[in-house]
Amino acid sequence: MRVELGVAQRRGMAALAGREVRRVLALWTQTILPPVVTAALFLAVFGGALGDRLRTVEGVDYLDFILPGLLVMTVASQTFANNSTTLFQAKNEGYIEDVLTSPLRPWQLAVAYMAGGLVRGFVAAAVVVLATVPFVGPIEQPLTALAALILTGLAFASLGVITGVWAETFDQHSFVASLVVMPLTLVGGVFYSARTLDEPWRTLTRFDPIYYLVDATRAAFTGFHEESVVTSLGVAAVASVTMVALAILLLARGWRLKP
Amino acid sequence: MSSDRIALHVDRLTKVYSDGTHALDALELRIAAGAFFGLLGPNGAGKTTLIGAASGLVRAPEGRIFVFGHDAVSDPRARLLLGVAPQEIHLDRFLTTREVLTYHGRYFGMTKRDAGERADELLGVFDLGAKAKTKPNRLSGGMRRRLLIARALVHRPRLVVLDEPTAGVDLQLRHELWLYLRRLHEEHGQTVLLTTHSIDEAEALCERVAFILRGRIVAEGSPRELVEQFGGERLEDAYLEAVRA
Repeated sequence: MRVELGVAQRRGMAALAGREVRRVLALWTQTILPPVVTAALFLAVFGGALGDRLRTVEGVDYLDFILPGLLVMTVASQTFANNSTTLFQAKNEGYIEDVLTSPLRPWQLAVAYMAGGLVRGFVAAAVVVLATVPFVGPIEQPLTALAALILTGLAFASLGVITGVWAETFDQHSFVASLVVMPLTLVGGVFYSARTLDEPWRTLTRFDPIYYLVDATRAAFTGFHEESVVTSLGVAAVASVTMVALAILLLARGWRLKP
Repeated sequence: MSSDRIALHVDRLTKVYSDGTHALDALELRIAAGAFFGLLGPNGAGKTTLIGAASGLVRAPEGRIFVFGHDAVSDPRARLLLGVAPQEIHLDRFLTTREVLTYHGRYFGMTKRDAGERADELLGVFDLGAKAKTKPNRLSGGMRRRLLIARALVHRPRLVVLDEPTAGVDLQLRHELWLYLRRLHEEHGQTVLLTTHSIDEAEALCERVAFILRGRIVAEGSPRELVEQFGGERLEDAYLEAVRA
């Protein structure tokens, strides 16, 4: 008996998403543990060592100040790393043909691939939050924090898909991580307030979408923000929708996936 | 003929790769449902490109290609009716042998339970049961080839496309595969499109054969008809004559 197309596609999307999530959980020492350790070290070094001297930034305890940025950094770097790697491997080793010959639509492929990255980013971020609960204040607006982190995940999971599709060598794959994602993260105000920067850095920071994601998340955690939360979430939403649309477009056109 | 009676309808299909290679040149082909059809041609004749166009592995060819009446480029229903075993063996190294089959079935809309039962059945048929929990990269070349063919069959496609399925396979396995393919065709009535370099294989299995050359079908018929058309005693003679012409 033939299954109806829509049902087949939904089942297929769920199966591919399941395969991606399973990969993340099975390889947890490579996917979950490293970002948790990295975030913990940042908190120990900056929050502990430097925090003793700084005490507060803009009236906010330094550990409370950097935690939201570290969560954005964790979600961004892990969703990106996961999706760029899984697509790059599937494409380079050729087994992506299994899903390219399936009845899944491009948006369903994108959603399924993103699922693994989002789980990886959010599990790592959740562990960091749980580990810091005793040392930081309560989250003032949990829903806003969740919205900002979901937008972060969508934008960088999509960038991961785009990079995995684009990269033809491991060097190209690493290039985007080292020269795009990491610099954007570090100049996005994770460890400092943009107000404290001199020009032109203060203005340039405002072209970095991560700045808005960090600012919205920080507003949600501490109440402190430099832009209005609506503006930050709006800019982040536009960036996320653009990246998701681009990822779906590339999958639909088969660019660098099909001859 | 209705869409149900034509398994594959290729209408002036043209594909030019970005390096200028004309892989398909207004190719025309019709394969009747239930046929065991062979496509014979030299390297670079367009066999793999034609299969890629039917299965969605080739970008934007010109012309049209239909699988049981569904446009293979724009209608995902065509994918549900088609099972492909590509020439190159690419298997998901993260999965076990059994999971390669179950995940494939689920990508094509089977429930987890159905896909599992079908995977077990095919592991038995292809003598891979003992390797169910083994990763594909630990299988021998012959086993991986069998797994690839099994994967193409998981979702019970009405049209099975096998791109040089016995390339690099030892004689014994080759004959075992022939037996299985014959049984598949005779017992289940599945349409089979087989590309091969082996004239013996085409003669042994195919009811109809087409010769493809420089992206065009240059001759088509039963092996006997082709021999009558081109002269000689065997299909090999007809093929060589057709390629020479």
